[in-house]
Amino acid sequence: MFSQNGLSLDQAPPLSVVFRFFFSGALFGILTGLLILLFKTTIFNAHSLEAIILTHTLTLGVMLSFMFAALFQMLPVIAGVTLKSPVQKANFVQYPFMLGVISLLFAFNSNAPWLFGLASLLLGGSILTIAGIMLKNLIKLPHHSSSSKGILLTLSSLFIVILLALYLTGTLSGLFAGTYYTEVKEAHYSFGLFGWIALLIVSISFQVIEMFYVTPSYPKLVSKYLPLTLLTLLVITSIIGLFSSYIWMFSNILLALLLSGYALLTLKRLTQRKRPLTDATVWFWRMGMSSLLLSMAFMIISQFKEIAALQTLSYIFFTSFALSIVFAMFYKIVPFLTWFHLNSQGYFTAPMMHEVIHPKTAKKHLYIHLATIVTFVLSIFIPQMILLAGLLTILSFGWMTYQIIHAHLLYKKTQETGEKFDMNMG
Amino acid sequence: MIISQFMTQEHRDCDTEFAAAEQAAANGDWADAEEKFMLFANTTLRHFKREEDELFPAFEAQTGSSEGPTQVMRYEHEQVKDLIGKLAHALEDQDKDAYLSLCESAMILLQQHNMKEEQMLYAMCDRVLPQETKVSTLEKMKKVVL
Repeated sequence: MFSQNGLSLDQAPPLSVVFRFFFSGALFGILTGLLILLFKTTIFNAHSLEAIILTHTLTLGVMLSFMFAALFQMLPVIAGVTLKSPVQKANFVQYPFMLGVISLLFAFNSNAPWLFGLASLLLGGSILTIAGIMLKNLIKLPHHSSSSKGILLTLSSLFIVILLALYLTGTLSGLFAGTYYTEVKEAHYSFGLFGWIALLIVSISFQVIEMFYVTPSYPKLVSKYLPLTLLTLLVITSIIGLFSSYIWMFSNILLALLLSGYALLTLKRLTQRKRPLTDATVWFWRMGMSSLLLSMAFMIISQFKEIAALQTLSYIFFTSFALSIVFAMFYKIVPFLTWFHLNSQGYFTAPMMHEVIHPKTAKKHLYIHLATIVTFVLSIFIPQMILLAGLLTILSFGWMTYQIIHAHLLYKKTQETGEKFDMNMG
Repeated sequence: MIISQFMTQEHRDCDTEFAAAEQAAANGDWADAEEKFMLFANTTLRHFKREEDELFPAFEAQTGSSEGPTQVMRYEHEQVKDLIGKLAHALEDQDKDAYLSLCESAMILLQQHNMKEEQMLYAMCDRVLPQETKVSTLEKMKKVVL
């Protein structure tokens, strides 16, 4: 009974499994910055090739890498799911995944059918396999928390996003006629943003807001039903959308209202913290939730008034929402894991969390991130500012890359030179 | 659900006391921090003792397993006790940065531990223990002192 729950002494996967995905995510983040310098404000036209390339660098390269980092670590804690041989699985996912992202970006750029085929094989194979393994483990759980159920739905959504993407790349590689190309594209996009990214953050927040900041838990009604409602809405809309695309307008407004309610509730929870100290990660959460509110507000308005700038603002703030939460999680997870692993291995010279990444360092990143988003918004009106936004994006992810390398080196150094309790003594 | 309810409430009480001590240390009010820290440490250690002396043995007797989740929980208790010791040292040295840094580690460790207990172990106890055992274990736990 218990082994199924995954309660074992060595539940936590090796540090390298988590760090490698944070590292590759940060590298794709730097690539995002370089692409912004190259593409400039053409990215603000959502239908341009440049925007599509940039979106996939951000969603697949950055967000999905970070999701893997978070899930490999968090599944044992929040759902009691321990993945067997995690290093092997991480290797199996990471290399085909990274090659897949690169080939997809080149495929978009060159429109070469064989590249779309290669990308489908690499990305479809790696993502569907690991999402499938995680899903299988989650489905087997005898009792669910709201977070584990939410993650189950998130991974199902990711599964759908990838299947829809395979239909699109299959069409582009000449495999199918692509009769429903436009409808599938709309569904792929909505499932990606709402079903996967937003649902992932919602599900994780049910657990980590309470855990990191010691707040009252979310109301049962919200934690139990919000993820399922979001996903059901998306499924129904996608099916009806095959016949009538107007349905998306109603669905988008409903989704935006639900997510705005969630954002307000989370902001309220953050004011109800039992731990009154405010560190950078609390501000990252506040910034993320405020960005979500703004993004949803602009999305609702743009359903009624077709102004390009409104849509662009909605995208910018949605990106800010997702990245703010990633950074909030990063500055808790990396210092904690570095300390936790070394401490568990018996090193009494294990560096404390503040020695791995000092709160002041996280705060500096907060300012860089804030400046990046402000610069992006300004560049809608002053196009030259986009170059500064690109440079700040590189600085932001470069900052993150440096923190991972620093933590990794500190970990290695402690293992090599640190003093250790002799576990076999006595 | 009587086990879950009682034990979960104890977790929340520990959190409140922990946060009060952390805030006092952040303010540099070391006398206040020490008083609140002692309260937190005592409540936490008594909670551990209640589990290790009463709840875990009852669960182990019922399921016939002493190497399952209770073993992991005991191990995690040791990790937390170790941190409580380090926190006490930092408090004695009035080293604010060290104290707050240890607070971060302790809080995440405690919350992860609490989550496993609340979502798995207590839920299992409420499910597998007969009603009369639950009532008597709860009574015995309430009588435990440090």
